[in-house]
Amino acid sequence: MAITAGLTLTSGADDLTSDALSLSVSTSLTKATTSTALSNTSGLARKTTESASQYILFDGDAYGNGAHKIYLKNMETSPALYFIIEINSEQIGKLYAGDFAFFPWEANADTNDIKIQPSTSASHTLEYMLFYE
Amino acid sequence: MATTTAALTLGSADLLTDALSLSATKTLHKAGSTVGLDATTGITTAFLTATTNIDIFTTLLDNSGDGPAFAGKTSWVYICNNSEDETEYGVVTISGNIIGKLYAGDFLWMPWSMAADSHADNKHGDIELAPSVATGMSWSWGMINEGTEYPTAV
Repeated sequence: MAITAGLTLTSGADDLTSDALSLSVSTSLTKATTSTALSNTSGLARKTTESASQYILFDGDAYGNGAHKIYLKNMETSPALYFIIEINSEQIGKLYAGDFAFFPWEANADTNDIKIQPSTSASHTLEYMLFYE
Repeated sequence: MATTTAALTLGSADLLTDALSLSATKTLHKAGSTVGLDATTGITTAFLTATTNIDIFTTLLDNSGDGPAFAGKTSWVYICNNSEDETEYGVVTISGNIIGKLYAGDFLWMPWSMAADSHADNKHGDIELAPSVATGMSWSWGMINEGTEYPTAV
């Protein structure tokens, strides 16, 4: 079993900097301190919010310690619409329309919930996927 | 206007009954707009030889009463553990709260708001990294953002 994740960051010469940016990394997602592949997933899912309330996307108490990885994408198209992403009640950042993120999650405490909060009370759709031990 | 593009792929032929072949691409924009991000720290490569928790974006203002000037603006953070030893990892924290561990070869790509810390220790959401070993680990990190507030020289 293997799960691969790749990221590329690109920008032309004399654009972001004088030299072109062409960064590419790829990795296989494995369990902590081993070369054994992660074997569980939430599946690729979508949530459409219906208020500007904060929602718990993943409960830190439900997964425990591990080399979990999270993918999030804001499916909205209007540039002003965003989701606030929080972990352990600490704001990580905002995902604006079309933005995506991929980051590790240790879920090392029951307070380590991944929470999302849409920018408005109108319906906002977030796509997400968790890979976990 | 700078055009910087981020692209992510996630794939597996055997995790699920159906093959996973996900790709996402996005041009990086300033908050709430379609204006391209035009500032970057560049990509740092560092060989860390201590397990000390370090602040990886050291030039950002910290502990000011009002917070960084670019708090709430768009910043994208990239961190990669270049180690090839599967037992070596780094703990990534934001304002002292653990996000997760990056094991050998792992990377992260995430937004960063530099939001004032909700835990009242006034670190304004510093991103920190603590390697698991002191025998030396190679790391890369960088940020593409709307701008950086530098400390006044003393």
